[in-house]
Amino acid sequence: MFRPPPRASGYLHTNYGEDLSLLRTRTERGSLAIFLVIVASFPFLASPFALDLACQVFLASIGALSLMLLTGYAGQISLGHAGLIAAGAFTTGILAREIAAPFWITLPASALTGIVLGFVFGLPSLRLRGLYLAVSTLALHFVVIYLGGEYETKRGFSTGIVIDPPSLAGFKLGGRGWYFVLFLAAVASLLICVNLLRSRSGRAWGAIHVRETVAEALGINIARYKLLAFVISSSMTSVAGCLFAYYRGFVSVEAFDLFLSIQYVAMIIIGGMGSLLGAMLGAMFVTIFPYLIEALLRLLPNAQKLAGDIFAVNYAAFGVVMILFLAFEPLGLVGIWRRLQNYFLLWPFRYKPLAGARK
Amino acid sequence: MQLAVNILVLGSIYALIACGYVLIYRVSRVLNLAHGELMMLGAYLVLATASLFNGHPGIALAAAILLSLLTGAIVYIFLMRKMTGEMVLAAILTTVALGILVRGIVILTWSAQQQYPAQALGVSNPSLVLFGGARISMWSAALVATTIAVYGALFVFLRFGRWGMRMRAAGQNPLLAAQRGINLHGVYALAWSLSTLTGALAGILMALDSGLTSSMPVIGLKAFPAALVGGLDSFAGALVGGLIVAGAEVLLIYYVDPLLSDVVPFLVLIAMLIVRPWGLFGTREELDRV
Amino acid sequence: MTAALLQVVKIEVVYKRVITAVQGVTLSVGERQIVAILGNNGAGKTTTLRAISGFLGIDDARISEGSITFKGTRIDNELPHKITGRGIVLVPEREKVFPNLTVAENLAAPVSSAARSGQGRRLDERAYHFFPRLAELRSRTAGLLSGGERQMLAIGAALMCGPQLLLVDELSLGLAPVVIQDLTRRLRSIRDELGIGILLVEQNAAAALEIADYAYVMENGRVVLDGDRERLKSHQDVQEFYLGQAAGERRSYRDIKQYRRSRRWYG
Repeated sequence: MFRPPPRASGYLHTNYGEDLSLLRTRTERGSLAIFLVIVASFPFLASPFALDLACQVFLASIGALSLMLLTGYAGQISLGHAGLIAAGAFTTGILAREIAAPFWITLPASALTGIVLGFVFGLPSLRLRGLYLAVSTLALHFVVIYLGGEYETKRGFSTGIVIDPPSLAGFKLGGRGWYFVLFLAAVASLLICVNLLRSRSGRAWGAIHVRETVAEALGINIARYKLLAFVISSSMTSVAGCLFAYYRGFVSVEAFDLFLSIQYVAMIIIGGMGSLLGAMLGAMFVTIFPYLIEALLRLLPNAQKLAGDIFAVNYAAFGVVMILFLAFEPLGLVGIWRRLQNYFLLWPFRYKPLAGARK
Repeated sequence: MQLAVNILVLGSIYALIACGYVLIYRVSRVLNLAHGELMMLGAYLVLATASLFNGHPGIALAAAILLSLLTGAIVYIFLMRKMTGEMVLAAILTTVALGILVRGIVILTWSAQQQYPAQALGVSNPSLVLFGGARISMWSAALVATTIAVYGALFVFLRFGRWGMRMRAAGQNPLLAAQRGINLHGVYALAWSLSTLTGALAGILMALDSGLTSSMPVIGLKAFPAALVGGLDSFAGALVGGLIVAGAEVLLIYYVDPLLSDVVPFLVLIAMLIVRPWGLFGTREELDRV
Repeated sequence: MTAALLQVVKIEVVYKRVITAVQGVTLSVGERQIVAILGNNGAGKTTTLRAISGFLGIDDARISEGSITFKGTRIDNELPHKITGRGIVLVPEREKVFPNLTVAENLAAPVSSAARSGQGRRLDERAYHFFPRLAELRSRTAGLLSGGERQMLAIGAALMCGPQLLLVDELSLGLAPVVIQDLTRRLRSIRDELGIGILLVEQNAAAALEIADYAYVMENGRVVLDGDRERLKSHQDVQEFYLGQAAGERRSYRDIKQYRRSRRWYG
């Protein structure tokens, strides 16, 4: 029986399997294949520095995706993301240190910590909205950091906890191994997010985000879905924290300051709120940004004296970029990307599409 | 007795910083999370003016305060004005980004080392003895006095001054205020200037008392729960909230654990958010504004 | 009547670039004239007022065609506070006072360009002169006033801006008929004494036609009928649809084929 090949336009699905599939056209499948080839060959062609950078990007994108789920889709503002990563990292560190737990215990344990903390972080959302919710997550972040600091001091790890690299039957991960592990983790997070958003929970979150009272009137259990958003997002973030701890081999409370929370929020804003692609683009941008600034400083002739204060330069540049995006490009990198797409889609015609175009 | 003095001093610090938060929030519904950094900027400006007006500490101080006033207006006119009318979250994040930017610039200009504006100005900081054997440093006492003076002045200004009334009107209903001819941008710029001014006063006095580092914004962030506990749009609340948070912090540090110092304000905040989110004196409908 | 104070010529107001709320509306207000715009909900009356007073940007709307001229100068799409500075003041439909300020503070808050030239004192007395009741309520918090008192305060506060054209949106909403009568009479005395123009938007046609010199009827964003008071009061369709007086004897619904017979606006 002749089945016409799927096209980009029109919904020509003939069975549920096709309808649910994520890749619908030959072009999509083809581009994914090419992308996978690039990703797979990257570690064999790139320098260790670039490899490390890519690993950091993958790690960051897990956190960015979970925050996008919570803030971009469900509309619950959270400024305490760093606290959740710290929670996962500290769970791993504590378990590895105290009872020498292997990674297949610490990973689920981090997820569990994330679930519990997600519940705690999410309880205020049942009563508060917007600004007050953001403030409550901020406060909880500080509490988590304090607890981590307490543990460090009380147990004598004043400089931080050192963690042995994870091993599976004696096999330890090298740079390339980590690359693939983190890539798979990022892909897994992406798939989880995509599927969640396509499901009932995703639709409920969308409704809650836009108009909470109407969502409630439509029979959506607000409390349940808000808490669900927090719990899922936090457990993903904690797992990211666990991976972070193993990747760095070192856990210290100073690495999880408020600036890290802001960086994650910046990731979803610079990337573009309400879009998973935006989360990943934002993660890439914010992770690579400090290195870009450093490279830029090296190029400028008289900037040597600034190189000593690289942190300050990073701060200043980061602040500027964030302000620029907030003031001038509220749709973020995804907005820029979509505009580019539209331009080439319509070329050589010039008029802009009506929906979603601004100014 | 020393504990009471400590609470008074810390409470005054928090109250003075908190009134900056309340000022901007009440007038324009924006939470200025860059307040701590702007406060720090004011203190660092003293270093700059001290070297400019060498030998005249009074003029240097006045110049720094004036510059802070201008800085607030500039921040509004060139940055926050673009964000009026946008989502409140976007405005708040803009202030966060601004704070990060200011922190970077400050470190670049003055380095991250500890500075001593008191030395730069050539003034001293003697310790005064109060009854009960408690001691208070001169600049801390000055800070308490300044807090009282600032609150009094703000009360009079908002209640009886023409622009004070316009600020209150704009805070309640910006659209109606615009329809009645009130220049909203002017009102907002004034609010930002005054807020930066009070913050700078707090920062300068703290720096004169105990030195200046680039981690001063942490205190600004700790003062934010004081504003919220009292009610983000209430000045009386900021005063009371400052004392409450300071009281909790000093007592818990003394009796329980010194490490708690940075987290106590936020514990108080969480408690308040559970029990009474709009603060002790805040107006209730604030809750629904996203 | 004398020369037109306000001239609105064929304006078209578009919301969000796609929804046309008002189309081809032409109206004018002369000096010392009270003009009413009648119509049901959603007719576009408030949008027209907003277009004149400049407060369109908030709802992402624009005047996309036509012109609005005030005393000879074009003011369409101008900034709201500039329009207020020219002397066009709006009394809005909702949220017309500052609820947490007292009556005296509400009257002191508005800014008028005339105040700077030293006429401030005279303006101060205006509100209390036209609305003596407000003088008794000087220190009451505005949020606690009754509906009628609130409307008086709103109009009084608008007067403090020194207007030459007063735009009043839905004067009579939620007020008792006695209060409405009182307010409309005061509006007329304001016009008589101050010599300003008043543009009144009303759903309550009877009350509006009491004081209006000229009126426009709007429906679905267009002006469908205009005329002076006598013409409108005696017009059959206005009588039936806006004044509640059906022509002829009572008819049962069974007898008419459609619930609303077609209007003969051009008859």
